[in-house]
Amino acid sequence: MEKGYRAVTVADIVRRAGIARNTFYENFSSKEDCFLAASEFAVKEALRRVVDAASKVDSWPARVNSGLSAFLHYVASEPALARTCIVEALSAGPAAVDRYERSIQAFVPLFRMGRKVSPHGEELPGTLEETIVGGVFWIIYQRIIMGQTEQIEELLPELVEFSLTPYLGAEAAKRAAAEQPQTTSG
Amino acid sequence: MLETETRTSASSERAQLIEALIEIAAERGYMDTSIELVIAHAGLDRPAFDRHFRGKYDCFLSAWQEMNEECMASLMHAYNSQQYWPDRLRAVAIEVVGSLCNDPSRAGFAVEVLAAGDAARARRDMTMRVIASLIDAGRKEMDDPESVPHTTAEALAGSAYGQVYAKVVRGDTDELPKLIPQLMSAAVMPYLGVEAALEELDRGSKMPDRYRRPVAATPADTPVENGEEYPPELARLPPGRHGLPREFVAHNQRERLIAGLAEAIAENGYAGTTIAHITRHAAVSRRTFYEHFASKDECFVAAYDTVMTELRERVGQAFEEADDWPHAVKAGIGAMLRFLAAEPNLARLCMVEALVAGPVVVERYDSAIQSFVPYFQTGREGRSPEVLARLSATTEEALVGGMMSLISRRIIAGKTAELESLLPDLVEFTLTPYLGSDEAAKVARED
Repeated sequence: MEKGYRAVTVADIVRRAGIARNTFYENFSSKEDCFLAASEFAVKEALRRVVDAASKVDSWPARVNSGLSAFLHYVASEPALARTCIVEALSAGPAAVDRYERSIQAFVPLFRMGRKVSPHGEELPGTLEETIVGGVFWIIYQRIIMGQTEQIEELLPELVEFSLTPYLGAEAAKRAAAEQPQTTSG
Repeated sequence: MLETETRTSASSERAQLIEALIEIAAERGYMDTSIELVIAHAGLDRPAFDRHFRGKYDCFLSAWQEMNEECMASLMHAYNSQQYWPDRLRAVAIEVVGSLCNDPSRAGFAVEVLAAGDAARARRDMTMRVIASLIDAGRKEMDDPESVPHTTAEALAGSAYGQVYAKVVRGDTDELPKLIPQLMSAAVMPYLGVEAALEELDRGSKMPDRYRRPVAATPADTPVENGEEYPPELARLPPGRHGLPREFVAHNQRERLIAGLAEAIAENGYAGTTIAHITRHAAVSRRTFYEHFASKDECFVAAYDTVMTELRERVGQAFEEADDWPHAVKAGIGAMLRFLAAEPNLARLCMVEALVAGPVVVERYDSAIQSFVPYFQTGREGRSPEVLARLSATTEEALVGGMMSLISRRIIAGKTAELESLLPDLVEFTLTPYLGSDEAAKVARED
C-alpha cells in the first residue's frame, strides 16, 4: 500500500506477494476484493488488540486509555495495515465506505459504555460515539499522510482526553488521560 | 474593445468546461470521465479545451480548486454572519449541508475528485484545516483557553467530514440536515460543556427557507462566478512559461538539475516527470544526476528548499525596507508576486506541485506557510483591545493559507504572468483584520 490504492495494480500485488497471477484470482475476484479483505483483516486485528488491552483493566476510563494505547501501538507498528484500513478507505469507492463505517461501528461499544458513568447518559447525542471514533481515525489518518507514523503514540493523552470529556467532563477526563495506561508486555 | 469580448468569452468557455466536467464526473466517476465527453457536453471543441487546461487531470484539479475557493468564501461568510461562536459554527454547518443538498452534482464531484490522487486530497485537507480552525475558535469562550488540546478541533472536523462523506457516497443527501444537531452538539461539548451541547440537540434540524429549494436545480440556477477581470494591458502579457533567468540557471550541475526538474515538471507535472526528462532539460548525464540525488523525490525537495529560501529572502528584504507595518506587508506580498510571476516554472513547482509530491514536501509546504506567519503577527502590536479580540490564534495562518490558495489558483489557471495584479486584493484581504476595511483599502490602492 505504499503507492496508494488507486495506483496499485494486480501485477504489483502478485510481485510483492511472490505468487502467480492465477493464485491471486483463485483467492480474490478483483483488486477491490483483495483490498477489502486486507482491510477486514486489519480491522479485526486492531479490534482484537484493543479488546484484549481493555479487558485487562476494570474502570471504564482505564479501558479507554488502554484500548486507545493498544490501537496507537498497532498503527505505529503496522503502518501498512493502518494505511489500508484508514487512509485508503476514503478513496476506494462505495464498498470501502461501507467497510470504513463498519470499522467505526466496531469500536463504538467501547465508548458507549461511558454513558453509564455519565450523569446525562442517553440524553447525549446519538452519534456521539461515531464522532469520537471517526475523530480518532481522522487524526491518525492525517499523521499517516504527513509521514508521522512513528510519533503517533505520543497522541495518546490528547485522544484519551478527547474521548472521555463528553462523559466525564473536562477535569476528570484530563486526570484520567494523564495516567499511564496499563499495558501488557509486548 | 474586441480584446475585452474575447476575454469574456474565454472565461465563460472555461466555466462551461468546468461545469460540464463536474456533471459528467459526478455521474461517471474520475476513471470514466474523458475529455471527449466533457467537450461534447459543453458544446465546445478540443482546441477550446486545450486553451484552458493541460489535460484531464489539470481540468479536475482546477475545478476542485475553484470549488474549494467558493466553499471557503461561503463558509467564511456564514461564519461572520453571526455574532456568537456556537451560532457561527451552526451557520457554517447549515451552509455546508445546504449546498450539498442543493447541488447534487457538486456533491458527487467532491467525492469522485479524490480519485484524482494526492493533490486533490491535499487540497481537501487544507479546507479541512480551515474548518478545524473555526471549531478551535471555541476555546476563546473558555475561562482557560489552553485547557482543550488542539487535536480536538481537528478530530471533530474530520469526523464530521467522514459522516457527511458517507451519506453523499450513498446518495443519502436528504438525511444530511438530521446530522446538524448531532454534529453541533459534539462540537460545542469540549468548549462549552455538556449543558450547552444538549441545548444544541434541542435546536433541531430545521433548515432556513433558502435551503429548501427543489433538489433538481438546473445548471442555469447555479452560475459559476468567474469574476476574474484583468485590465487589458496585463492581458497582453503572454501566459505560460518563460525561460529561467540567468541568475537561476546555474553554473554548477546541482543547480542545473534543479532548474531542469522545474522545467520538466512545468511540462509533465510531477507524477509524469522522469529522471530522463530532468537530465535532458539539465543537459547532464544520468550518472551526474545520481551523484547529486538518490531519487526524483530528493531532487524535488532540494528544488523546493532552494526556491523557498530565495522567496523568503526577497520577502524578508522587502518587508525590512518599508517604513511602517502595513506598507511592509504590501512590499512583502509584492516581492512574492513579482518573484513568482517572473519564474513561472518555479512558481508551479512550489505552489502547485508541492502538494502532489508526497508527505515530505507537504510537510515542508506547511512549514513554509508557518514561516510567513510572523510577518502578520507583528501587526498585532499596538492594536486596540477590540481589534485584538476579533483576532483568533489562527488568524495569521488562515491569512497566509488563503493567500497561497489564491495564488496557486491563478497558477493552475495558467495566469502566472498576471500574478502581480492580485496585489491590491491580497493587501486589502490581509490588512483588514488589523486595520479595518477602510484603512486597509487605502493602503492597498495607493501607489
